[in-house]
Amino acid sequence: MQKIIKINSLNEFLTNLIKDYTVIAPVKERTTKFKAILDPKQIYLDKITKIPLKKFFLPEEELLLAFKENKITEVRPKTKPTIIFGARKCDLNAINVLDKVMKDPNYMHRRKNTILIGMYCTHPDKYCFCESMELINFYDLFFYPYNGHYYISIGSKKGEALVKHLPSAKKEITLKFKNTKKIKNKDIAADYQNTIWETDANKCLSCSACTVVCPTCNCFDIKDKSLINKKQGRRTRSSASCQLKSFSRVAGGKAFRDSRLSRFKHFVYHKIVYFKNRHKIYMCVGCGRCLRACPTHIDWTKTINILSKTKKIQKK
Amino acid sequence: MVYHPQPYIIDHVKTINKEVKLFRIKSDLNPKPGQFFEISMPGIGECPLASCSHNPHQIDMLTRLAGNVTTAFFQLKKGDIVHIRGPYGKGFPLGKLKNKNLILIAGGTGLAPITSLINYIEQNRSHFGNIIIYFGFRNPEYILLKDKIKEWRKKFKVTICLDKLEGDKQCKEGFVHEVMNKAPPDTAETIALMCGPEIMMKSVTQTLNKLGLTDDKIYWSMERRMECAFGNCGRCLIQDVYVCRDGPVFRYDHIKPRLENEETSNKIKTH
Repeated sequence: MQKIIKINSLNEFLTNLIKDYTVIAPVKERTTKFKAILDPKQIYLDKITKIPLKKFFLPEEELLLAFKENKITEVRPKTKPTIIFGARKCDLNAINVLDKVMKDPNYMHRRKNTILIGMYCTHPDKYCFCESMELINFYDLFFYPYNGHYYISIGSKKGEALVKHLPSAKKEITLKFKNTKKIKNKDIAADYQNTIWETDANKCLSCSACTVVCPTCNCFDIKDKSLINKKQGRRTRSSASCQLKSFSRVAGGKAFRDSRLSRFKHFVYHKIVYFKNRHKIYMCVGCGRCLRACPTHIDWTKTINILSKTKKIQKK
Repeated sequence: MVYHPQPYIIDHVKTINKEVKLFRIKSDLNPKPGQFFEISMPGIGECPLASCSHNPHQIDMLTRLAGNVTTAFFQLKKGDIVHIRGPYGKGFPLGKLKNKNLILIAGGTGLAPITSLINYIEQNRSHFGNIIIYFGFRNPEYILLKDKIKEWRKKFKVTICLDKLEGDKQCKEGFVHEVMNKAPPDTAETIALMCGPEIMMKSVTQTLNKLGLTDDKIYWSMERRMECAFGNCGRCLIQDVYVCRDGPVFRYDHIKPRLENEETSNKIKTH
């Protein structure tokens, strides 16, 4: 059963939440991103955030261990109970993807401490293609704006407890997403060797922007730093990108994904094929952030569509 | 915690040549043959190393000087503390090797995981048929674990292949696959397992194919960059398989199409 709340009562609802929880929501500052808010008026829902939600669960750099003399101590993050508010369906599905891979204790600690509240997005743009990515309902609460009200779907007991005091809706309202961009046939496993990928790879600068803004890119590096006397140091986990040559480089200098083409294909195939083989869902959630961020406007979704078109012609 | 390495004491250090040292570490970690550890040098970093023995009370690290971590590791002496986490990976498919004849091939420090398997075979000799071993090294100076090889020569059929013979009479000249071509080993009821540079494993595999051993009877122990060692960091992915979690030993017919895909696209250089 859905709960219902007037659109202009939302601020009051959130103000109450801010008293007990750290509330993270999309805001517009120099860039659009998820950030802890103190006032509901800060929330910005018009556009998809440039910086994905993953940065809250997997910070750019995070302390894992601290060294002193020969002693090693663990460092655990300190987090208050947190609510993520205003995440889009793609953002939430990205968390579902990360849950499947990440067995990192810091990540799991943050996840346990977090309640996910989603918001139906009324403004998908020309880069969004979430419809094509078989997204599921993954949330604790999800808000559908309709006729001056928010209709709130409940996904878990944690979520239910937050809206207990609200009246129940008389009818169920769920809204469909409308994208202009679509990927038609995602079965590209057999097309790895197709030369069409070279056109995209030719444009690629290996700048790694796509992996920085991707909400499901979780690859990381473990780095050590120490004082010059080597008596104190720390080990951190920081994000890494498969688009950089150093990503696969081993001691001795050999980089296993040496060419730009192999790195570019690794990104696309990991999102569309490899992850699905293992976890039965697509790693890509169709948020379109990689397409928006690309400085040379590479659109691999178009390439996939061209592939399926040529396959159709070949069948005829 | 998954990232927290535990301290162990170095029992013995043996310098084999200027590039390779053998560290004996007291530990009860008891890895399966072919599994590996992350060796931690606090403040420097971590690196994945395989144990080259099969012993519940110690691990032996045959280490080649290659990067920052091994450089720091080389400074350590007997009695020093080294931090280790592991073991990781699945190791060699011991169940599938039972009652089979085995051909073991090791190139350079790829010797390490193969040695742990030889140890296991020595301890359970009745489980296995004929054992043929090939070692490939650069020249007589680079032959590793000479004492052990001497012992194994008494028990198994051991061939040492050197790129440059330099007058050594016990060894054969040429790469492993060349030596194998000249005196082909029997491949009936046989499984081949190898570890070494990929280019060497590839040519040896092709030779074994010619001798009638199909890809599903051949196993590769592989090397990739690893940070976490439990399938989270994504560094060791070869297409859709993690070398750390699913390997590091792979049946060749499983890994072959993936390697070939990446190899062909590595050859194409764009702009």
